[in-house]
Amino acid sequence: MTQIVIRIEDLCKTYFMEGGTKQDVLKHVQFKIQKDEFVAIMGHSGSGKSTLMNILGCLDRPTSGNYFLEGKNIAQATDKELAIIRGKRIGFVFQNFNLMMKRSLADNVSLPLIYQGVGQKERYKKAVELLEKVGLKGYENRLPTQISGGMQQRVAIARSLVNNPAIIFADEPTGNLDTRTSVEIMNLFTELNKQGITIVLVTHEEDIADFAKRLIVIQDGQISYDGPREDYKT
Amino acid sequence: MIWQILREAWVSISAYKMRSFLTMLGIVIGVAAVVLMVAAGQTVQNEITKTFDSMGTNLIIIAPAETVSGGVRGGRGRPSVTFDDVAALRELPDVETASYVISTAAQAVYGANNYGVSIYGTTPEYLKVGNWEIEDGMSFTEKDLKSGKPYAIIGQTVVDELFGLQNPIGKTLRLRGKPFTVIGVLKSKGDNLMGNDQDNIVMMPATTVRQRLKGSNRPQYADIAFIKVTQEDRMESVSNRAEFLLRQRHRLKEKAPNDFSLHLMTEMVEKVRQIGFILSMLLAAIASISLVVGSIGIMNMMLVSVTERTREIGTRKALGAPNKWIMLQFLSESILISFIGSFFGMILGVLLSQIGGALYEIDVPISIWSVIISASVAIIVGILSGMMPARKAMKLDPIEALRYQ
Ligand SMILES: Nc1ncnc2c1ncn2[C@@H]1O[C@H](COP(=O)(O)OP(=O)(O)OP(=O)(O)O)[C@@H](O)[C@H]1O
Ligand SMILES: [Mg+2]
Repeated sequence: MTQIVIRIEDLCKTYFMEGGTKQDVLKHVQFKIQKDEFVAIMGHSGSGKSTLMNILGCLDRPTSGNYFLEGKNIAQATDKELAIIRGKRIGFVFQNFNLMMKRSLADNVSLPLIYQGVGQKERYKKAVELLEKVGLKGYENRLPTQISGGMQQRVAIARSLVNNPAIIFADEPTGNLDTRTSVEIMNLFTELNKQGITIVLVTHEEDIADFAKRLIVIQDGQISYDGPREDYKT
Repeated sequence: MIWQILREAWVSISAYKMRSFLTMLGIVIGVAAVVLMVAAGQTVQNEITKTFDSMGTNLIIIAPAETVSGGVRGGRGRPSVTFDDVAALRELPDVETASYVISTAAQAVYGANNYGVSIYGTTPEYLKVGNWEIEDGMSFTEKDLKSGKPYAIIGQTVVDELFGLQNPIGKTLRLRGKPFTVIGVLKSKGDNLMGNDQDNIVMMPATTVRQRLKGSNRPQYADIAFIKVTQEDRMESVSNRAEFLLRQRHRLKEKAPNDFSLHLMTEMVEKVRQIGFILSMLLAAIASISLVVGSIGIMNMMLVSVTERTREIGTRKALGAPNKWIMLQFLSESILISFIGSFFGMILGVLLSQIGGALYEIDVPISIWSVIISASVAIIVGILSGMMPARKAMKLDPIEALRYQ
């Protein structure tokens, strides 16, 4: 039996701007994502991809609609509840890596564990383990400034894995990387996905989306395509 | 959790070494200044106490009355207490002894040396009243007083200035051309609070001063008189009795004002101590301005830090940091800075005050106050200056913080 990790129903997001104008960024969006899926979200700039990712990643709340994460409706959860969910169930990979530049790679990777009350030694051990997993064995005491962008993104991926999340969200993870490095990162994601980790990523590039099994296309706040990657024709 | 937060705070502080050091320096200087000023104030108070102790505190001083004309206070009136008055006061209950002084000043000459000295014409009891001790030789006696012998007891300064290394006992010094035989040397008392040299003194029988140095048409009157009371709690009653006795002896009518004035040393000591206390508080208050400046420094640094680290804050929040954690982390950073600053400020303040004390050869107390002040500064300044930046960090929206360039 497959397990549903994410289910959104009739999800809407409206931004209310100063001066009384409002903008409907997401309009009645719905889909399910099952465990082990590898989903790419595409769409034109301003179509609402990041807005959707922020809601899925529990950084933001929908204006209306339901969001079930692992069966629990968290559409109207409090900030505190969302922080706990992010800390325990969600991993993030950002376009600009968002590493702490003055801290060692081990400190960076193990950062989320601080908020889970994990002790220093245990954190370091976990960080070393995960750095090895993303191909950065022996790099634990380096600083982010001493490694390349591709390596930095690997560190960020290691960090996203450290709390054994149900799902990893990556908003344009290859946006700041060259083609070759992008492929390396995507191979890493594919590898992780094979190991049973659910991945949702946003991208502009067809080539990147090719790594995913499923594609969701958003157009003007609505889903215009949702199906296998290979069936989508531009 | 608290250790995790403190560790994160510490790592963040040490990541910006120069900036954190300079900010700390503000607190170091502020706390050091306050500790120094408190030490200075306490030293002054201690010195005041010491000076009074060297004079004896159980004293009642009888001075001429203040002249009042048309409601305006003038100077002192003329002397009104006689030698016999003092003899009568000496017989009152609870009085240990009483004495009086006729004072003048002159150039003392011995051989080729000369030096300006204070001259006290007094009675043998004055040594006890003024807590003086004879170091060498002896005092003059009641008999010498009656007959007006030209005997002098001299202080250390006079010994040094006139006699150098010679033994002054038995030598003759001259005051206004008249000869006086040195029969005793006083033990040194050092400077008093006002910096006056108490050892620059020549004591002799009051009658001798009257006859040879300071004649008067009322020769039996003393410039000032002193009563030494047996116990501090008898000061009031002795003072009342003395007033009653003097009014009787001066035949004052019931409504007439006193032609003398009584001053209780205990009260004067209390007043001076209060002034000393206010002075030290004032000094500390002025010094604490530098602390305020220091804490503004912390606040400024923390605000810059929060702005600079907006993305870091956003990342931490995205990765599950509760708002409370973020706030406590930044608060811990400012408390840590002010704590370390206060600690070194305290050490610096104590060190400087001891060095200052050593330079001026004064005992400077190391008081528990410096610890109390620095500890409370550490916490209060840390919280006050960290609160606003920490709240700012806490309130950042993670999405916007992550977008921040
Ligand atoms: N905080 C906000 N307040 C108001 N409007 C917003 C806010 N965030 C996003 N929007 C608007 O919502 C729309 C969708 O933005 P979003 O960032 O989701 O687009 P996107 O698909 O991620 O675009 P891109 O590919 O350029 O990243 C845009 O028109 C944007 O201006
Ligand atoms: Mg976007």
